[in-house]
Amino acid sequence: MSTEVFGRTILVVDDDPSILATVSEILESEGYDVRTAANGKEALAAVERERPSLVLLDMRMPVLDGWGFARGVRERGLHVKILVMTAAESARRWAQEIGADDYLAKPFELTDLLSAVDRVRHRN
Amino acid sequence: MSAIELTQLITHILYLSIFAVTLLAAFRRATRTNVDIALFFGLAAFIILEQRLGSVLSLASDVRGPATTAVAAGLPYALLRLVDDFSEVPFWGLRLAEIGFVAFVVGAFVLRPVSPGYLTLYTLYFLLLTIYASVVFLREGRRSAGVTRRRLQAVGAGSVLLGLTAAAAAIDVLIPVEPVTTLLTQFFALASGVAFYFGFAPPAILRRAWQEPELRSFLAGAARLPRLPDTLAIVREIERGAAAATGASARLALWQETEGVLRFWQEDLGSRDFRPTGFAGKAFMERRAIYSSDVWRDDAESAAMYRERGILSILAAPIVVGERALGVLVVYSRRAPIFGDDDLALAQLLADQAAVVLENRALIDEAARVRAHEEATRLKEDFLSAAAHDLRTPLTTIVTQAQLIQRRAEREPQSPEELSGIRRLVSEARRLNALVVELLDASRAERGKLVGARKRIDLASLVRDVASSRAGDQRRVFVDADGTIEGDYDEARIRQLLDNLIENALKYSPAEGAVRVKSWREGSEARIAVEDRGIGIPPEDVPYIFDRFRRGQNVDDRRFTGMGLGLTICRGIAEQHGGRIWAESRLGRGSTFYVALPVARDKPATVER
Repeated sequence: MSTEVFGRTILVVDDDPSILATVSEILESEGYDVRTAANGKEALAAVERERPSLVLLDMRMPVLDGWGFARGVRERGLHVKILVMTAAESARRWAQEIGADDYLAKPFELTDLLSAVDRVRHRN
Repeated sequence: MSAIELTQLITHILYLSIFAVTLLAAFRRATRTNVDIALFFGLAAFIILEQRLGSVLSLASDVRGPATTAVAAGLPYALLRLVDDFSEVPFWGLRLAEIGFVAFVVGAFVLRPVSPGYLTLYTLYFLLLTIYASVVFLREGRRSAGVTRRRLQAVGAGSVLLGLTAAAAAIDVLIPVEPVTTLLTQFFALASGVAFYFGFAPPAILRRAWQEPELRSFLAGAARLPRLPDTLAIVREIERGAAAATGASARLALWQETEGVLRFWQEDLGSRDFRPTGFAGKAFMERRAIYSSDVWRDDAESAAMYRERGILSILAAPIVVGERALGVLVVYSRRAPIFGDDDLALAQLLADQAAVVLENRALIDEAARVRAHEEATRLKEDFLSAAAHDLRTPLTTIVTQAQLIQRRAEREPQSPEELSGIRRLVSEARRLNALVVELLDASRAERGKLVGARKRIDLASLVRDVASSRAGDQRRVFVDADGTIEGDYDEARIRQLLDNLIENALKYSPAEGAVRVKSWREGSEARIAVEDRGIGIPPEDVPYIFDRFRRGQNVDDRRFTGMGLGLTICRGIAEQHGGRIWAESRLGRGSTFYVALPVARDKPATVER
């Protein structure tokens, strides 16, 4: 029902391959179309290419970090919701800093992940 | 008045004033030594007074002459007795001197007029005894230190000069060479008077000057003492310094508060404890320096120990800092102190220095302890934080992956055994996850970084919300939170605080036990109370219940999992909101946890970080 306002494509960005794999698998099992990127640079390219509705974004990554990615998104005038997903204690603060839609602090559980995605989906 | 008469007058005044001083000392402290010193100068005073006043009193000259000779014969004998007081004179020596004394006294009255033979023997007797005494005084002086050393040396010089006075007087009678022999006699008499004056009645300024070198060398050593590696090394150095300064042996005992004993360290590093009842204990308890010239008698309880070690005299000075007595400095010797009061003053000076050294040491130790503690705490914090941090990413994968597998297994049931195994896996992974979160929160609480952005919310409705979410499934949580209480809070953290307290209350009370959650306003504070009818907290544990890793001693760790950090986190949340948290409890009857938080003033606070 909400798929009309919220595309089924989600981009997961994290430099930890196991997080990438697990989060992808969970979201896929919920019927999402998942793309992955290992850093901000790859993520920017993927956003331009795939036009996802939502980016699950780790903040501390090599090459280009979460802040760099957010700047890139703004500079290119891209429209995408961002859910910060980070191991830092300051998940909330960082989410505020880059103007993200929501945050998910590691460690999280399956239901935390799904409800966070749901929250962002239903937010305008 | 001729020069000779003037010299004689000065000599007489010197001797008489020494007699006055020593007589006073003997009255003040009637030790054998003091009495013998007074006796010696008493004899000298008699001779002088007889010379000066005899003619005035117009006593018969045939009585005056022999009497003076007899009394003068007592002088070297009294000196020998004095020597015997602190350094034993051989038995036969004393007897011989006594026989000589009696013989010369009798001779003085019987053999009249005085024959040259008698006078020669008399003079030899006098010389022999005074030289012997002089040798002993000088020898003891070398073994002593400080004031005692100088005084013994002066007395030694006085003794030999007294002998020379007698010899010169005899020569003056037998083969007078005017005016040389008379002058010589007067000179020796004056010199002996001066020497005895310095020895037996030194002015205070001289005592201080004599004390100075020893004290100075002790202080020079003391300055570096607090830096020594341990207290025992310092004790040893103080003992060494005190021994050098007093010319005796020294031991330092430190008071052991918990055991209530004075502890001495032996040469072999073993220690011996004494109840503060003996001689040293008396100085310690009464906080004053005391000495005993016969400790076998004055400390009968420990007499056997003193005898075994050949200790005869003891000086004990308390080591006091402000109101606290740290220990006692004991200076002991195999001989009686000839000048106990001087030694006592020195010992007290040394003990005072020891007090400064030990107090410095204690301060340095304390500072080091604090530093080490801070360092350890910081390391622990860093470790906790780093460990928890690095655990999070793999934990997230494990938990979510396991939950995904569980979910699939539940949707497409395979073998039930596998599903229960997966559930166990998930539950344990979640527990691990919760522990890491707890650890991180505690570490944040410790660093004051627990509370984030605050907004204006209604605390009462938050309490109702959290409590009723609990009431729903447990049917044991009762809420009493009417009205509104507005304040600026980190909602997620206050929710966590309430959750934690209610969780605890449920955890530590029986299955049917009710838990009451209340909120109300009290002045400028919002109050929350979470009350249970559970096992309660032992009174001795209540003050520590909010400390890390603390649980009541009555809590069975196997039944209650978790790291025991929940209340630490609660305290962090309350305090970082500018509030307080405390507990009241009765063992077996239940506990009530109270939280006080500030309420909103006028305008909503801006969002803080």
